Formats: sequence, structure tokens, C-alpha cells
Amino acid sequence: MGGIHRSSGRYWLFAAVTVASVLLALPIVVVITSPLHSAAPEWDHVSRALLPEHLKGSLLLLFGTLLPALLFAVPSAWLVAQYNFPGRSIFRWALVLPLALPTYISAFTYAALLGPTGSISIRIHELVGVKPDIMNMPGLCLVMAAVLFPYIYLPARAAFVAGMSGQLDAARTLGAGTWMRFRRVALPLARPAIAAGALLVAMETLNDYGAVKYYGERSLTTAIFRSWGGLYDLGSALRIGLLLLALVGLLLGLERRSRGNAARTTEQVPVQRQTLRGVQAVLAMAWCSLVLLLGAGIPISKILLDVFGGSFPLAWTEVFPAFGNTLLVAASAAAVTLLLAVLFTFRERYGERAPWSLHIASLGYAIPGAVIAVSTMALAGLIDRSIMLPFALIGSLGLLTYALAVRFLAVGNQPLRAALEQQARSLDDAARLLGASPLRAFLHINLPLMRPALLAAGLLVAIDVIKELPLTLILRPFNFHTLSTRTYELASIEQLREASLPALMIVLCGLLPVVLLDRLADRKA
Amino acid sequence: MRKKILGIASTLLLSCGGPATDQTEQPGEVNVYTHRHYDADKELYARFTEETGILVNIIQAGDDELLARLEQEGQRSPCDVFITADAGRLGLAKARGLLQAIESPVLKANIPAHLRDAEDHWFGLTMRARLLAYNKEKVDPNTLRTYQDLTLPGWKGRVLVRSAENVYNQSLMASMIAHDGPGTAEAWAKGLVANMARTPKGGDTDQLLAIGEGIGDVALVNSYYVGKLLSSDEPEKQKAKALLGVCFPVNGSHGTHVNVSGAGVARHAPNRAAAVALLEFLCGDDAQRVFAEANKEYPVKSGIPPSGTLAAWGAFTPDTLDLSVLAKFNAEATKRMDAAGWR
Repeated sequence: MGGIHRSSGRYWLFAAVTVASVLLALPIVVVITSPLHSAAPEWDHVSRALLPEHLKGSLLLLFGTLLPALLFAVPSAWLVAQYNFPGRSIFRWALVLPLALPTYISAFTYAALLGPTGSISIRIHELVGVKPDIMNMPGLCLVMAAVLFPYIYLPARAAFVAGMSGQLDAARTLGAGTWMRFRRVALPLARPAIAAGALLVAMETLNDYGAVKYYGERSLTTAIFRSWGGLYDLGSALRIGLLLLALVGLLLGLERRSRGNAARTTEQVPVQRQTLRGVQAVLAMAWCSLVLLLGAGIPISKILLDVFGGSFPLAWTEVFPAFGNTLLVAASAAAVTLLLAVLFTFRERYGERAPWSLHIASLGYAIPGAVIAVSTMALAGLIDRSIMLPFALIGSLGLLTYALAVRFLAVGNQPLRAALEQQARSLDDAARLLGASPLRAFLHINLPLMRPALLAAGLLVAIDVIKELPLTLILRPFNFHTLSTRTYELASIEQLREASLPALMIVLCGLLPVVLLDRLADRKA
Repeated sequence: MRKKILGIASTLLLSCGGPATDQTEQPGEVNVYTHRHYDADKELYARFTEETGILVNIIQAGDDELLARLEQEGQRSPCDVFITADAGRLGLAKARGLLQAIESPVLKANIPAHLRDAEDHWFGLTMRARLLAYNKEKVDPNTLRTYQDLTLPGWKGRVLVRSAENVYNQSLMASMIAHDGPGTAEAWAKGLVANMARTPKGGDTDQLLAIGEGIGDVALVNSYYVGKLLSSDEPEKQKAKALLGVCFPVNGSHGTHVNVSGAGVARHAPNRAAAVALLEFLCGDDAQRVFAEANKEYPVKSGIPPSGTLAAWGAFTPDTLDLSVLAKFNAEATKRMDAAGWR
């Protein structure tokens, strides 16, 4: 193949990426431009009476969740990646499990145990006379961190496993102790991965509605629903969405700056794990157990107790079709999202500058799904009403898949970008010097090296789709149930026990990709 | 070849759009958008299909989202019947031109006038009362005759209620604005906030459980949840169940605030006749009995008794305010609750 042919191929690919990113950015653009097209009759009241307190709530929630999430994720990722200790092979994948729990389900189960009328609270009150109450801001932050920390754990572990053993060995030879090696070598190298994960946690925290509402706290997202549902003012709700986007834009900028001067590596030798013994092994086990208990052990045990407690008939027949639908939606949305994410990272790596639409498109994770649903429907409605396609877009699985890709692009994109960020540019340069086209270099050098991150991204998107609610709820076709919609239907009428069965199935559904992909990732590493 | 595969794949993805997107009259089915998630409803749809042969297709989602979907679908909407659990949203759907008037002697005969739209755009199917549940050991129900009683100084730190975001709190407030004006309503909300046992959190059931744990003595809740709790055999609910008494406060000289679950026929309903048949079925004797027994709601049709659990609380006088006004005052109600500091 000649040089001209090659570069024109790249040109077309770049153009295709731009078109795809513009398509994905459209629903976000609807939100961004809402002051231009949507009247906001109650904005005066919203900005005066709601925004100050709700913004404060969002910021508290954001940092209150990020801090413990980092604390849960980074040390356990380091331990699992660098050391052998009893239970390590279980912790390695089990620490991803909390991701399979929808945040609001975990929040509900914690409230049922440790809320003001929770069963454990009551028991503790009987024993020592003090009643614990988790239904407040600190409790909410802790519950959210316990469920969301795997977003950081996964990329951090991938970073700790590959690409830094040489530097760590060098540091050891130079006499650096464990703490020094962790702080001065591993942490700077893993920083892009950790920041990428932290950004996902931040976005997930900002867009949460169910848990925040149930715990009686205030956030920008609850303000969105108060404006929309209470004030009948969608325009104001969209403006608050715009504010959320600005907030996340700010965080994205911070994350980019932190990546700008991050350390890079050319090396891909997997780490030789050291074996911990005695007290150290016990401490490592204890820490991982604690994190696992908080994130998955306690809520899943409660769900199991509810399911098999025998107080209601198990409606298995109802759950199985929902199970199939869930897998269908998760697989198609994950495949589409991952493909797009790979294309986008290629463009970012080999293009001169990424198009703006790409940055905008990856903001979809930050605003509540219901807002994306509304803006997606506004776009699709425009097409449905003006062009008489043989089938309406609204209510089609195609539109649902599109909306899910909009929402979860960041989840697919972040780990890939972080992994690519960790690869030195000299790799690309060497490939290019040897005559490879950018696409060839990307496919044969960068992409294979990103495989653990690729798997992590696929896993994250699939699990996110499995537990996703607002988009699926409103964009689905008739008589189409997923595990998530079924869980919600029961939970929303306060039948939490009955909701435990589909909730358990969500966990089981998530367990499959967790274990499967973890195996694959490890074989590679 | 690749194009062909793409073509097939996209057709597959797009064609799963569900039934009845074409505009022709299909007497064989009816498409429902509903905000109600109850198994009782599903049972009723199955019975309707059994009786009439008309299949019921359902999408369940939040009411604001469903309204947005209806609006965006416009003339192409497959929706025949819109069902939601708040008269305010039904009024909103009407105001946005999403519903159509239905002339039906059956609906008119079965549903009292104040529980349906004056211009026949929507019809109440079941009723819920905003009532008070109290701790029988600590509270004399004679001290709780009106909603206004809750603002008296004696109740400081004893009143439980969920967030102002809850639609039934909003509709209660809207009814007060309709009767007494926004100033009086806001003063009431302020008084209520001053007497709250805690910052609002959790759902209605959580307020009832909180009485069981002595966190507060009286809870402003929806009759449906009290009925559900009192007929529950879950062990963690027994303490509250044993302690709870129920009374119906009135709003000054008016009755107890009620809201409805109701339905309207969509403006562009492709299966209009089937939609009307479904509505008439849902307010018929059989369906009203199922709503009452299985779902602990008050039937709208006179002559159908509420479930035993609810009947034991005694009869009550519902506020006969025309529920059409709830939509008009809901935004004002939310603003006034914000101003009163009701979170």
C-alpha cells in the first residue's frame, strides 16, 4: 500500500469519528443550549430558593464520596496487584462485585439495616442505648463510596499490575521501602488510571437520584426533579443539568491537567508478586475483607435473606424473560459503546486535536439518565414527526442502544484513554518509523497493550447497562422488562422484600462478566 | 456483504419498536402508558383481555417521562391510555393537549364528578386519602381533627412526614392553596416544619415504622401505605402495626384531602374504542373490588366497599374540591413548600 492511500484511509476514519462523536454529542447539546430553546418560567425561584443549598449538597456529596472511595480502592488494588496473601485470588475479582449493585438498592438495604428503623440499629439500641442512623449525608457518602469504589479499583489494579515492575525493582535495589515505592513510584505511574476512575465515581455521584432522595439529602439532581416534577418546569430542570455539566467540565479539566505531567512507561512486563506473611498477610486480608464486606457482603447478604427468608412467593417465571432482555440490551449497548470508545481513543492518539464534539459526548455520564432520555426523545421526536420512517425511533431498541451509548461513553472511554496515556509515545514513533500507518500502529501496538483496560471498559459498560434504570424505563418498547425495571417497579411501591429477587438476579447477571473478564485480564497479565 | 449485514442489523434494532405504531384501528389491542407499578393492575389487564379478547400492551415509567414521551411522539404516538397516580399530572396532560374528551355514560355514572375532569379528558379510578397515623399509646385522636392541628405547639418534635418532593404532599398543599390562598397554606407548611420530628427522609412506610420506634408520634401519610403495612406479616413491621391508629383530619371546613389514580385517552390514540372499553372496565364493579382488596385503595364507584383493613378506620368525608385545580396550583405549592423550608 502506498503512502497516499494510507493517509486517505486515515482521513476517512477521522471523518467518521467526528460524525459519530457529533451524533453522540447531540443530546448533550440539547441540554447545553436549553436556555435558548426551553422557557424556564420558574428559574427565578429555582436559582434563588433551590440552587444554593442543592449545589452545596452536591459538592459535599462529591468530595465526601470521592475520599472514602479512593481509600477503599487504591490500597486494595495495590495489595492485590503486588502481593500474594491468603484469599488474594478471590479478592481480586470479588472487589469488583459492588459494581453489580445499583446504588439505590445498596442504599435501601443499608437503610433497612442501619437507618433509624433499621433492624441492626434497633438491636444496637437495645444493647447499648444508642441508635445508629446511616440516613444522613456522611452515611450516604459512605454507602455510595462502598458501591462505587471499583470504578477506581479496576483501572488502578490494571495500572499496578502491568507497566511498572522495572521501576519498582529499580527503586527496591536503591533501598526504597514498600511505602516509598508505593508513594514515589507506583502512585505517580498509576495516577492517570486513578484519576480516570475517580472521575467516573464523581460523575456517578453527581447524577444519582434514588439514593440521595431516599436519604433525604439535597443535590443538583434532586433539584432537577423538584423543578421538573414539582414546578412543572422542564426548562429550569435542563438549566440545572447544564450546571451539572459545567461542574463536570471543571473536573475533567482538572483530571486532564493531572494527566498532562503524569509519568509514562514503555514497559509491559507483569509484576512479580511478593508473598506476604504473618501480620502483614493478616492486615492485607483484613483490609480487603472490610472493603468487600461494606461494598458487597452486607447488602448482598441482606438481599439473600430477603429472597430466601420465605415471606413471599418467589416469582421466578416473571424474572427469566427480564433476565434475557437484560443480557440483550447489555451486550448490544456494551459492544456499540466499546467500539466507539476504541475509535475515539485512536483519533485522540493520532489526530492533531480531538474534535470538540468528542469532549461534549463524554459528558453524558454526568447528568441524570432521565435528562438524557428527555433530550434523546426530543431529537428522535423531531425525526419521527418530520420524516416518516417505516418505524418510529421512540420506543425502538435502536434508540435505547444509542441513548445508552451516549450515557456510558465516558465509562468505556476513560479506562482506554488512561491506559493509552500510560504508554510512551516512543512506542508509536518506533512503529511509525518502521513504516506502519497510524491505524496499523494502533491496531498492532497500542490496542494489544491496552487489552486489560479494554476488558475493564467492556465490563464496566456492560455492568452499568445491566443496572441502568431511567433510560431503559422510558425508552423501552411495549411489554419489555429488564431486571432493573422490575426491581424499580417493586422498590418504588416500597415493596423492598419483593424487589430483592430481581435485585439478586442483577447481581448474578453482573457476576458473570466480572468473573469472566477478570480471568481473561489475568491470563494476559 | 457488509452493508447487507448492517442493513439487516439496523432493521432488527429498529423494528423491535413494539406493536401498533401504524394508525389503523386495531380492535385487538390497547396500548397503555402507566405510572402505576402494581401487580393488581396487571391482574386486571389480564382479566380485561380474558373478557374482551383485547390485548393490553404496557410501558411503565415515571409520569413526567411518559408525558415527555407522549409529547415527542405527537401524532405517531402508539399510546391509547395514559394512567398515573396524581390528578395534577392528569390535568397537566390535558393542558398540554395530550388527551381527548371521552363521552361515556358508564364513566359518568360510575365516577363522582369531583374525581373526574369537567370536560371528560380524564377519569379518577381509585382514591387515596392523606391521613394521619398515630401512636395509640401516646395520642388522643380527638386532638387531631384538622391538618391545622399538626401545627399547634403541643406537637413540636413529634410530626413525621416525607419530603416535599412527594407528589401527595404537593397535592395536599395545592388543595390548601385552592381553598385558603397561598399565604395561609405557606403559614401552615411553616408550622408543620417547625413541629417535624426529623428532617424528612425515606418513604411513607418509613414514617410509619418511625412511629413504631418512637421517633415521632404522628405521621402524615397516604392511606394506601397504611393499608399495606397493616396487612403485612413481615416481622420488622409488627411493632409499628401494633401501635398504629388511624384518623382522618379535615382541612378546616372542608373534608379530608384525596388524590386519585386516574386515566385519560390519548389525543392520537390509534385504538380509541378499545381504550374506552378499558376505562369502563377499570371503573366497573369487578375492577373496583380488585383495586380495593388487593391494592388497599378506596374505590371511586359508590356501593363498592373498601377493604376490611380500611373499613375498620371508619368512614370519612373526602374534600370535594374539583381535582382539576391540582394541576393549576402544583407549582405554587412546591414554591411555598420551598419557602417554608420543607425539604
